[in-house]
Amino acid sequence: MGLLSLLRKLRSSPEKDLRLLLLGLDNAGKTTILKMLASEDITHVTPTAGFNIKSVISDGFKLNVWDIGGQKKIRPYWKNYFENTDVLIYVVDSSDKKRLEETGLELYELLADEKLENVPLLVYANKQDLPDSLTASDLAQALGLPTIKDRAWQIQACTASQGIGVREGMEWACKSIKK
Amino acid sequence: MYSIWMYISYYIRPLIKWFLRKTTGLCELQRICYGEKHGSVRIKGVENSLNLSRCPQIKLLVNHLNDVCDNQRFTASNEREILEGATRTVLWVKQINPQVHLQFVKSFSRCVEQIWGYRQLMTEVETLRTTSYDADNLDHERKLYELWNNLKPDEVLTSRVSKQWQDIGFQGDDPKTDFRGMGLLGLENLLFFAEEFKGPASHVLSHSLHPHYGYAFAIVGINITSMAWCLLRDGNAKTYFYNTCKSLPNIHHFHQFYCYLFYEFDRFWIECKPKNIMEFSDIRTKFEENIRASLLDPHGVFRINVSVDTV
Repeated sequence: MGLLSLLRKLRSSPEKDLRLLLLGLDNAGKTTILKMLASEDITHVTPTAGFNIKSVISDGFKLNVWDIGGQKKIRPYWKNYFENTDVLIYVVDSSDKKRLEETGLELYELLADEKLENVPLLVYANKQDLPDSLTASDLAQALGLPTIKDRAWQIQACTASQGIGVREGMEWACKSIKK
Repeated sequence: MYSIWMYISYYIRPLIKWFLRKTTGLCELQRICYGEKHGSVRIKGVENSLNLSRCPQIKLLVNHLNDVCDNQRFTASNEREILEGATRTVLWVKQINPQVHLQFVKSFSRCVEQIWGYRQLMTEVETLRTTSYDADNLDHERKLYELWNNLKPDEVLTSRVSKQWQDIGFQGDDPKTDFRGMGLLGLENLLFFAEEFKGPASHVLSHSLHPHYGYAFAIVGINITSMAWCLLRDGNAKTYFYNTCKSLPNIHHFHQFYCYLFYEFDRFWIECKPKNIMEFSDIRTKFEENIRASLLDPHGVFRINVSVDTV
């Protein structure tokens, strides 16, 4: 063993590295959730061209969160980030009823990919603060989540811009891995 | 370590200043103004000297000017009055004879204009940024249409919500959600670029549509707004403004700074020959590092070097 790798081993913390993939349509709130997790200022978020990545320590895990842009032109690149994903986090703008079908189609395409087989799914029903947004349970029904049998899944209501519900979702994500 | 240094400089600085004052017969502000050419070095020197001053009248003056600018009351109509007032205070406190030091009066007043103009510009930019894009606001909507007309003069927008917006690099059918944290500032930056730099803007737009090195023009533009805003806010952009502004800095100067960044980013992007848009964050970070490095050069001059190339 070389000196460098020995040092690296000594330095490495007991935390386990996890890979979390944050996906969803554009304007769903992925970057805001990412920034909330990293306790960063969320007042100057910009649309994501490409991706953002941040590492957060939570519940004894080192969470490496990958936030990939949701724009239609970027979605074909999503699959390049599937490998070794521990939890798939799918963010939905609960008030964007016009694109409910589109977001559902994208989600099921993800679930059908073999690289994401058995990977636990956390759905954030974001923007609960907006008038006439769907509740988490209505959204779960609309997306047909109860029919998912091949993996653990959870839906979490949240308002990322106010930090409401984000933590609870991550707690579930960490628990689902411990199992 | 830092606190020890602060402690020493707190006591040593006045001693050095006193010594130089006695030997040169000039106060620190005069030495800066006579020793440096007009530009970022002189203005930053004056700014630093004023901010560190422990003289009560100077402190009062600084607070007063800060207050004027934070409330955006530094305008073309009262500019002369404010500059004369500031200069008079300094002449009186430092016992400088304006008849003898006519050059100092001129130089110092230009410095004050730039220092507090920059501060006021920060407030002005922040007001625009925190104004969210509002689809019910006719003025906002008009600007959005103007952006289209300037970028696509030969193509009619079929409806307000249309797939065509994606041709100029918005994410979906309605641009209103893409401005996000940059608010109206993002739109006004883009519009200024498209309107005032028609040639370079259409050049950049055509690059963004390149089959291999293409990117989303508007989205990248909004990310450049964020970069320009950060550089303004953390003070690194002072080099640019202090070296280029010939009058009281205003929003146009900020737009020009933005245009410079966008044009240069586009060139850098093409030079990097990225595989796809997923390399954006890396290239953006590298680009920002380069810009920050060039802003450290006190004599840096930034101009759009328009060149027609064929990619």
